[in-house]
Amino acid sequence: MANGYAGRFLHVDLTNGRCSPFTVEDALLRKFIGGSSLGAKLFLDGYRLDADPLAPESPLMVMTGPMVGSGFPGTSRFAVCAKSPLTGIWGESACGGNFGPELKRAGYDGIVITGRAEKPVVLSIVEGEAKLTDASGLWGKDVYETADLLKEADKGAKTLVIGPAGENLVRFAAIGNDKGHFVGRTGLGAVVGAKRLKAISVRGSGKLTRADETRFRELQKAAIEEIKDSALAGSLHAMGSDANMDIGMINGDVPVKNWSVGEDFELSSALSGPTLSETYLTRAHACANCPVACKRVVKVPDGPFQTEEGPGPEYETCGTFGTMIMNRNLAGVIKANELCNRLGMDTISCGAAIAWAMELFEKGTLTLKETDDLDLSWGNMESVLALLPRIARREGFGDLLAQGSLAAARKIGGDAVDAVVHVKGLDLPMHDPRGFHGMGLAYMMSNRGACHLQHAVLATEQGMASWPQLFPMKDDYKGTTSEGKAELVFHSENYGILGNSLSICHYLTDCLKPETIRDAFNAITGFGLDFDGLMACGARDWTLKRGINNLLGVTEKDDVLPKRIMTPLKEGAGAGSVPDVEKLKREYYALRGLDKRGFPREEKLRELGLDDLRERLYR
Amino acid sequence: MVKYNAMTQEWLDAWKQKIANSKEYREIAKNWEGSVSMIVNPDPEKGIPEPIYLFTDYWHGDVRDFLICDKAKAESANFVMSADFARWKQVAKKEVDSTKALMQGKLKLKGDLTYVVRNIKTVNKVIDLLCEIETIWPDEA
Repeated sequence: MANGYAGRFLHVDLTNGRCSPFTVEDALLRKFIGGSSLGAKLFLDGYRLDADPLAPESPLMVMTGPMVGSGFPGTSRFAVCAKSPLTGIWGESACGGNFGPELKRAGYDGIVITGRAEKPVVLSIVEGEAKLTDASGLWGKDVYETADLLKEADKGAKTLVIGPAGENLVRFAAIGNDKGHFVGRTGLGAVVGAKRLKAISVRGSGKLTRADETRFRELQKAAIEEIKDSALAGSLHAMGSDANMDIGMINGDVPVKNWSVGEDFELSSALSGPTLSETYLTRAHACANCPVACKRVVKVPDGPFQTEEGPGPEYETCGTFGTMIMNRNLAGVIKANELCNRLGMDTISCGAAIAWAMELFEKGTLTLKETDDLDLSWGNMESVLALLPRIARREGFGDLLAQGSLAAARKIGGDAVDAVVHVKGLDLPMHDPRGFHGMGLAYMMSNRGACHLQHAVLATEQGMASWPQLFPMKDDYKGTTSEGKAELVFHSENYGILGNSLSICHYLTDCLKPETIRDAFNAITGFGLDFDGLMACGARDWTLKRGINNLLGVTEKDDVLPKRIMTPLKEGAGAGSVPDVEKLKREYYALRGLDKRGFPREEKLRELGLDDLRERLYR
Repeated sequence: MVKYNAMTQEWLDAWKQKIANSKEYREIAKNWEGSVSMIVNPDPEKGIPEPIYLFTDYWHGDVRDFLICDKAKAESANFVMSADFARWKQVAKKEVDSTKALMQGKLKLKGDLTYVVRNIKTVNKVIDLLCEIETIWPDEA
């Protein structure tokens, strides 16, 4: 068994109720390391790719990496992977919190779940022993209530829970880790709901081995010192991810009014990290073993948007439920965030769908008749809060939005489709490619659709991190140019993807020296990978997932930016600028070794050791 | 156009005048309170044998003291920024964005980061005005 790993995985077949441990060869671990990379390999090798994402035979995988549970800063992460019910292609979403380390201590590197239970169940894993118990009494309860009940029954357990949205197969349903961390993107909560799995509860106290304990301890201390010295870490601690709101509005990063307006400083000031800190913040909160503590705990003490003390909104949520829908009321954002958390919905895709609906309401395409009398005027938070439970329970107009903005728009037809801002069916996160062309390319090429986390482009293009020791980098990148961006995106993907396979937080990857992460990884695993070896793992991950998507029907025609993004803004730092899609794509395809169809070339697959995939793509 | 030797009192005076003459600055900076010092780490090869300490003070759109000072005065400022000479030069020539340099650890800041982010437009404007000064750099003289 390789160091750093628990040494076994768990397969749960919900149809027959069987829980069986299995192992993965060390050679496979060296090649794919863990997290969603290993998940993609298991998916390709073992399952029917063409199965409906919500069918019993479609697998759902909960995967950790070798650094998880080591105590190294930022290694609380785990990934959930499946074919996405929102996009129909490869789906994955990573999450912090404390479930990942607990799963490792409970004796497993990951869980693969197939089948469908007859009645709702909870999967409980305690010190390596897995069992399924009846969850009929929990079905219908929200994420917070369910997590509380599971923890009452087993103090110290860490939980993964779906809410009503997952139960009702909302296409952007999320999975909650305890009450403060969410597997948000690509609708994987619906896959859990389709399996009638209400929750997973884990508890364990096992110890993990390290190849070089002394060296690991040195590197752990060095990492803590680097974090203390990092302005980015300081910024995240003081303001959370919403520190980006003020700076992002100046730089042309923040979308306004469903991506149709270039800047609004009153909005950003009302919704910014400093404002949150000065008003509703009660304390900062950290994932397991993280000295940064970027998570916000907030409370709205009174008024129409009153909340209990609980998890606060991230920057993305302040975008989707703030600037995107022209809502200047931060308390309203906090309330919408709390509701989405409880109901179990991705705040990005949910907010994007509401922004899309508000645009159509303004144009008259949607009227009170279609919206069940909800006034969807821009910024109307009372209507938004009334709409959220209807989406989760698929009631009336809520049922239309529950299908995701693209499917909803296709039902309406006409101009409604042009108002959806997505790539490959996944709504764009809150970073505007007109201000940052590299992000546009990253959205086009990300394997789960428009994504800001399957790479490190946000950090490199916007200047939060600089890693000239990894690849050639300029001191400063201008956002509104496509020159040099294909190379930047290519390298930033290969490094950023490692965050997903090693299962280390992107923010920590941005704060720490690459040498420290590399050496800590090697001290834990003993794999002895240099930068080239690690970057090759990143390239292998990208190409493997691209190949899976090709097998699912993705071609170069899908590598596009939406019409709205290709329409220049009139104001702001990104005014008049759109990414040069053809140039970016041409240069990027050459770097990735993709052919004109958008398929990895055979020689590239050989070079990366992906022969099984080559046979599937070229047989 | 008059040129000024970098990091001298004359250079600071010219910068102060630029800021004082800017109506846009006065509007943007109406909420800013506090002094900012800049410490230039020594680099003998670039003509900087000793550290240089610069003190600047801003108050609700007005500018107050702009001084070459000693270490104690510099460290008394509300915000203390330090970097190597080469980095300061990049910032002053607009080759590197100051916020990016800060996040990458190339520019160090002691002070309330939240306040800086809240007032980032003020910070950017002050640096934009610095970039307008015709400067003679010691390593180019």
